[in-house]
Amino acid sequence: MFKFGAVLTGGLTAIMVTLNGILAGNLGDFIALIIIHIVGLVTAGAIILIKKKKFVFKKDIPFYYFTGGAIGVFLVLFNNITFNAIGVSLTLALGLLGQSVAAIIIDNFGLIGIKATRFDKRKIVGFGIIFAGIVFMIIGS
Amino acid sequence: MLYIFMAFVAGWLIVLSMIFNSNLAKRIGIFQSTLINYTVGLFVSGLLAIIMNNRINIGLIEFNSIPWWVYLGGFVGVAIVSASNYIIPKIPVIYTTLLVYVGQLTFGLTLDYWSGLPVSRNRLIGGVLIVLGLLYNFRIDQINTGEAEYDSSI
Repeated sequence: MFKFGAVLTGGLTAIMVTLNGILAGNLGDFIALIIIHIVGLVTAGAIILIKKKKFVFKKDIPFYYFTGGAIGVFLVLFNNITFNAIGVSLTLALGLLGQSVAAIIIDNFGLIGIKATRFDKRKIVGFGIIFAGIVFMIIGS
Repeated sequence: MLYIFMAFVAGWLIVLSMIFNSNLAKRIGIFQSTLINYTVGLFVSGLLAIIMNNRINIGLIEFNSIPWWVYLGGFVGVAIVSASNYIIPKIPVIYTTLLVYVGQLTFGLTLDYWSGLPVSRNRLIGGVLIVLGLLYNFRIDQINTGEAEYDSSI
């Protein structure tokens, strides 16, 4: 049941990229970014109000912990631009490849506070298959 | 080619924002960190719009010209954060990438078809190959760790 939930979460991601992409295609990239973040902010605020969560204040949080939101803006911007150029499935497939490469580098060298885990060279085969899949998707688009 | 590179870079941004966000969420809770996330994001979006001198004076007609549900992307984003927060701890972690990608691919191809991109044979083959590649690396992780440990590189 939870495994189906994980599949559904992936489906929701595809829906989100499509909706945001259509919005950006109609209203322009930067207006779309503002609207998307207002709607997200209101939703998150409503959840906190409904669940009556107490606000926690902590002083010793490093500044860079707060940069996730700023990085997210460029993520949404890039997704919106590529959605309108190459569609949602190729956008997500390339995102998966980029994600894997970034994760390998971060894990292998133990960057930004992540415990170093050596890359298993046997996985090159898997990545080769994934890469071939992406080439097929690009040809088919 | 530029778009292909851009979509690839978006993958790096996913990893970076996930690491920073989960660190923040561990400190102050998932919903509060999401709220901060969108607040910072809104500020940066506004700044970008000003810097890029984007036309802010869009008329009401333009806002009304698209169906209401197109505006729900931000809502779906928060739904994804909540759902992941609930579901992901309950399944073996090395399954996650695989299952989430299967969802992205099936919904992605359907939505592409719906927005006018045909599901060609090569696109289907490509999607299946990606899943097979993920499965292969997933097996290696299973052998290495006995499903015990998490390796985010699959």
